[in-house]
Parts: sequence; structure tokens; C-alpha cells
Amino acid sequence: MSDTGSESEIAEATEHTALMDGHIAEARPDREIAERIARKRKTKSDNQQSYGSVDRTESGGSGAASSSASNPPPPQPPADAQMEELELKYGARHVIKLFVPVTLCMLVVVATISSINFYSVKDVYLAYTPFHEESPYAVTKVWNALANSMILLSVIALMTVLLIVLYKKRCYKIIHGWLILSSLMLLFLFSYLYIEEALRAYNIPMDYITLVFVMWNFGGMGMIVIHWKGPLRLQQAYLIFIAALMALVFIKYLPEWTTWAVLAVISIWDLIAVLTPKGPLRILVETAQERNEPIFPALIYSSTVMYCLAATTPPPPGEPRARELRPLHPHGPFSRSQSPSQGDPTNMPCFSLICRGREGADGAGGAGDAAGFDAAWQARAGQQRRLRVDSSQPPRYTTRLERQPQPPPPQQQQQLDDEEKGVKLGLGDFIFYSVLVGKASSYGDWNTTLACFVAILIGLCLTLLLLAILKKALPALPISITFGLIFYFATRCVVKPFADALAAEQVFI
Amino acid sequence: MDLTRLPNDKKLQLCRWYFKVGCLLLPFVWAVNAVWFFKEAFMKPPYDEQKQIKKYVVMSAAGAAAWVAVLAVWVTVFQLQRVAWGPTGDSLSFIVPLGRA
Repeated sequence: MSDTGSESEIAEATEHTALMDGHIAEARPDREIAERIARKRKTKSDNQQSYGSVDRTESGGSGAASSSASNPPPPQPPADAQMEELELKYGARHVIKLFVPVTLCMLVVVATISSINFYSVKDVYLAYTPFHEESPYAVTKVWNALANSMILLSVIALMTVLLIVLYKKRCYKIIHGWLILSSLMLLFLFSYLYIEEALRAYNIPMDYITLVFVMWNFGGMGMIVIHWKGPLRLQQAYLIFIAALMALVFIKYLPEWTTWAVLAVISIWDLIAVLTPKGPLRILVETAQERNEPIFPALIYSSTVMYCLAATTPPPPGEPRARELRPLHPHGPFSRSQSPSQGDPTNMPCFSLICRGREGADGAGGAGDAAGFDAAWQARAGQQRRLRVDSSQPPRYTTRLERQPQPPPPQQQQQLDDEEKGVKLGLGDFIFYSVLVGKASSYGDWNTTLACFVAILIGLCLTLLLLAILKKALPALPISITFGLIFYFATRCVVKPFADALAAEQVFI
Repeated sequence: MDLTRLPNDKKLQLCRWYFKVGCLLLPFVWAVNAVWFFKEAFMKPPYDEQKQIKKYVVMSAAGAAAWVAVLAVWVTVFQLQRVAWGPTGDSLSFIVPLGRA
């Protein structure tokens, strides 16, 4: 049975790839537009007006629209400020939308950590972390943690670079294969471990037949929904679960202090990878934009909101253990790509970016909320519009560039708006946020856990605010993780002893 | 995926695909199919493909329900008979609950 299953999965995968291409094609105009918009916005605020103008053009005949669009549709200056404000408002809504999945992911992790012992017991470690921090000396521990995290970071960097190279060379098959392998591993192997430990912790009897059947259904549906088509909600649910599993794996298999060091190092890496001119994630995003393709759905969680945040995804840790676990990486709409390698733990590249989002395809769920574009209208209009855009664009594009100030053709923009509003957060971001909160909760102190949770959400808010202001892909990890780390150590070392002392002395403040 | 954006024939195709895949012992896919296309099948104003979608939705729902029933019966029987089946029962067990002190 499993054979047929895997075969069918492969078939699905191919099909999926084909579909993806279609999807990509559709998205192209948007991407370009978006990119352009982003650039222009930076230089000029005029562009924002285009939102307003878009509608008109759109509704007009396509031919007329394109011509008018290409020639500078004069932007209306007053609209700027309004647009800005509107964007911020939408942005706020999207922030809230991202809160829900992030919170859910952390909840799953915290609930698991506090009810299942397995994940907080240290016995086995990842192959990537050769130093186990067993020495009683603080200095040695620090040194071990740093060495481990540097090793892990280099693996992640390597994987990211590999991904970029593959992407640059257009080896989509290999990338998809990698992603599929990763998600297979997560959905079957890690889920199996998770179910086993959960059942054991709750003492629930189970037989193999039921287990195999349930796993097969769960995993099969997951593969379909992540790599092909499925209801948006379900896809989001799967992505959240995968991210949570990955986070649990990190918590379980990384040595104590290495976990904290990794968090710090990863957020710095995120910063570099996204913001440096030659940063790998930045290259990835730019390439994707140039090609008008969505970033791999398996890596990013998309809320179908207006901005996208893609985050970095860390590589899944491999596990050295006897059980051979290999992590995989998810994907995600929310998040990014990775692959597991066999035998060894593999890593996935991390991405962290927040980009202005546009992802038309998934938008269903989001579209409704998003900014009030009528979904049906979009549906109707979408195709024609798209076609038109394609043909007309390239020429326009050039002209515009020369002219420079010109706002991107309104139609396109609109399209963008319609289709791609959504914030995207890389799965990697989900994973690391959850690792931080989960790790904090593994010491059993709820104050610390809550502090970290709040810190991360605040960081996320700030990041989204920056996103609205800067309008380019941003790393989602640095602010949140920095806050998280500060809050964690402050709460643990200062607030908690203080609160304990107060309680002991019966002082109420 | 946004169903509202798909043309009707694609919807039918998708619904049929889900139903077919569900036949590979994947009742969960059937359940998803039934829920996902429920609105299309029963709440939308009639269109050409709706009848077929309706058929697949009903079959998927029935199939999923049947599987749930089968599974429930199996689990009940197994848990009640495990001890009586002796070694067979043991080798089929994945988790045997521990007693409590």
C-alpha cells in the first residue's frame, strides 16, 4: 500500500509542478509590478496613487487601459497621504492575521512541551552539534554552544546557497524533489514519533492497523494540500503543524545552551541574508520577483494579506540517532524551503524575508478579508487582465524605467492588490519563534513563557510596521528574537527572583 | 486555492480528482472533498457541472462516513478482544496502556 501511495505522491508532485508553472505564469505580471512598485515607492511616493488610478483603468477597455497606463497616467498627488494611511491600516489588519497562526504554532509547541516529557529530555543530539555541553565549566559550555551554533549556521548557509544556485539554474524539479522529500519526512516520520509520544503520554491504547491507516491519511492529505491544491485553511493548518514539529525537533535535539546560541546566530544570519546586497535570501526574492514566480509554497505561510513576510527557515535538524529521522523542511507558504538529506540531517535554507506580498493563488481565504477587493470580480477579471498585462508589459516597463517617476501601470498594481495581498511569513520564522517560546516553557515557568510570547508578538508588529514603511522584503527574525531573548533572560534572572522574593516576604506591589 | 476563482469545469475536475484519490484508502481526502465542495454543490445557484459535483460530494461524504464507521468498529472489537487473541493481539498492539499505581 505504501508503495502505491508513494507512487501516487510522486505523480501528484509532477502534476503539481505543472500546475505551479501555470500559477507562476499568472503571477508574473504581478511580481514585476510589485517589484517595480517597490522600487518606485522608495524613490517616489507617487506610486501609491496608482492604487487609486488602477480601478479606472481597469474597468476601461483593456486596450485603452494599457495605452493610457503606459503613458503616464498622471498620478494624483493628494492621494498619497491617504494611500499611505490606508496601507498602514490594512497592514494592521494583516498583522493581526499573522498573530493567529504564529500564536497557534507556539501554542502547539508549548502544549506539547508541557504535556509530553519526551521533548524536554536530553538524550540524543543532532549530528550537527558534536559538542554536548557536558562539562561543568561555564566557559567550556559557552565555547561548545558557540561552536555548535556556528556549525549549524554554516550548514544552513550552505543549504541556502545550494537552494539559490538551484533556483538560479532553474532546477525546479530538484528543488521540488527536495521539498517533497522534506515534507514527506516531516509528515510521516516526525508525525509518527509525535503520535507515539503523545499516545504514550496520555496512555491511550492503539493498534498498528489503525495507526498505519491514520498516518497514511494524515500524511497523504498533507502532501496534497501542501504541494498541490487544497483548501487554504487546511494548508495553513498543515504548515503550522509542520513548523511546530520542526520546532519540537530543534528543542529536543539541540543541547541546552546551543539552542539559545542558535537563536541569536540565526537572527543575525537572517539580517545579513536578507538585507545585504548579495545576501542569499535577497537574491532569492529578487530572482523570484524577476521571474514573477511565487516563492515555493511549501516554505511560506501566506495569509493572503497585503504584505508578505517570508521568513527564514532553518534547516531541519537531522537526527543522529538510531532512528533515522531526517528532517525536512517545509515549506511553506508561510515559509520556505529545505531539504533533508538522507542519512544526515539535512538542512534547509532559511529564508527570512518579508516581502510585499502577492500571491494570488492562495488568496482565497485572505482575499475576502483583504482589503476589500471583490473576489468574484477578481476572478472574472483576472485572466483577461493578466493576459493583457503580459503582452503589454515588457515594453512599458522599459519606458517607464527611463522615465522613472512613472508609476507602475495601474492595472498591474491593481492586480497586485487584488491577488496578492497577504503577508507571508517564512516557515522558518514560525519555527524559530516557536523554538524560543517552547524552550522558555520547557523550564516550567509560565511567566517567562508569556514574556517571550509577548516579546515575539511585539517584534512581529514592529517588523510589519517596518514592512509597511520600507516596502521591501524584511527579515522577520531579528527584532522578534532579540526581544524574545532579552525578555527571556531578564524575566528569568531578574523578574522571577524578584517576584519570588516579594512573594516570600509577602510584599504586594 | 480559492474555489470561487475557478471556472466551473475546473471545479468539477478538482472534485473528481479528490474523489478518485480518496479511493486509495484515503477517506480523509474524501471528507475534505465533501466539506470543501459542499457549498458548491448545494448552496450555489445551479450551473451545468453542479449535478456531477453534487454526486461526487455525496459519494465522498458517504465513503468517509463508512470508513469512520469501519474504523470505529475495528478499534472497538480490537480493544475488547485483544487479550482473547493472545499473541496476535499483542503483536498488533502499538501502545499498550500502562496500569496505574
